[in-house]
Amino acid sequence: MSEYHLNKLLFDTAGRHQMVESISDERELAAYDLSPAEREALRTGDLTRLYELGANPYLIRRVFRPRFAI
Amino acid sequence: MGTIVAGCLTSHAPNITAKPAIADPQQRARFVAGLETMRRRLLAAKPDVLVVFANDHLQNFFYDNMPAVCVGLATSYWAPSKGGAEFLRVPARQIPGARDWAKAFVQAGLERGFDLAYAHELEFWDDVSVPLHFLLPDASIPIVPILTNCVAPPLPRPHRSYELGAFVEAFVDDARPGAERVALLGTGGISHWIGVPGHGRINPEFDQRVLDAIRQGRGESLAQLTHDEIETAGGNGGQEIRNWIAVLGAFHGRKGEVLAYEPVPDWLTGCGAVWMDV
Repeated sequence: MSEYHLNKLLFDTAGRHQMVESISDERELAAYDLSPAEREALRTGDLTRLYELGANPYLIRRVFRPRFAI
Repeated sequence: MGTIVAGCLTSHAPNITAKPAIADPQQRARFVAGLETMRRRLLAAKPDVLVVFANDHLQNFFYDNMPAVCVGLATSYWAPSKGGAEFLRVPARQIPGARDWAKAFVQAGLERGFDLAYAHELEFWDDVSVPLHFLLPDASIPIVPILTNCVAPPLPRPHRSYELGAFVEAFVDDARPGAERVALLGTGGISHWIGVPGHGRINPEFDQRVLDAIRQGRGESLAQLTHDEIETAGGNGGQEIRNWIAVLGAFHGRKGEVLAYEPVPDWLTGCGAVWMDV
């Protein structure tokens, strides 16, 4: 478990051109070696927490695009 | 020996082409006018090749294999790619690549202590496509993309970018044919905060510090900035000024003329356009 897997999930999601408000699908999350804190932040769409956990901000921007006003 | 005949510095941002109308019309007009002046001067310099210092936005590279500096060796590049075209709202198109030039440059680097990664396929988004949308609308000059990691820390030191630019200058001077004319473009920055807490912030004070240093021929002072200084004052997007610093390294102490500077909130970027004094 590491921020690498968190970013891999976001990179794969972005690669499918999916834009979401949060990621809570258990089957999707199960494919990555994520910590409980990472899962919780993805489920709740807590972007600040994801950033603190090491998610790349450019991937945060791409995946969670609907959460940004601009 | 070849000659460096032009040096351009510009910002890039998806909204410059995707959502031009959300910017203040006067700001937009002034920035686009600056790019138009840059385009005319660039073409008047009649370059044979355009070296583009830019950065990937995790569309080509990922954490499984992240190059600090990567040179494109392709004969053409999608700029933008089809995916990029959708969100940039400009047509997908291919730009020719100066493959032999790029390969010779990588070889020279390996021989002289500048170990460069290379890639035979790269696709571009706003990083390269937005500046070239304005500067090379007819894709008339082959490019050599040199991508520096500005988005996935740990990043190369800004001073390494200055050294990279100086190395390009030395390569053109020492190793290229006498009649060859080379133009340089650095694209990124200036300040912006993207996808981080504080997303959307711009710091015009930092931007002016950068522009003043360039106006006064103190480009090397920017190369002394640390990652943390840039992150604090210029945001995570400000790390892209490495691409400007590379051009400044090739222009050792020469001055730049600011053609436009507009901090455009809806484009999420302190937008600069600078012409280097050849």
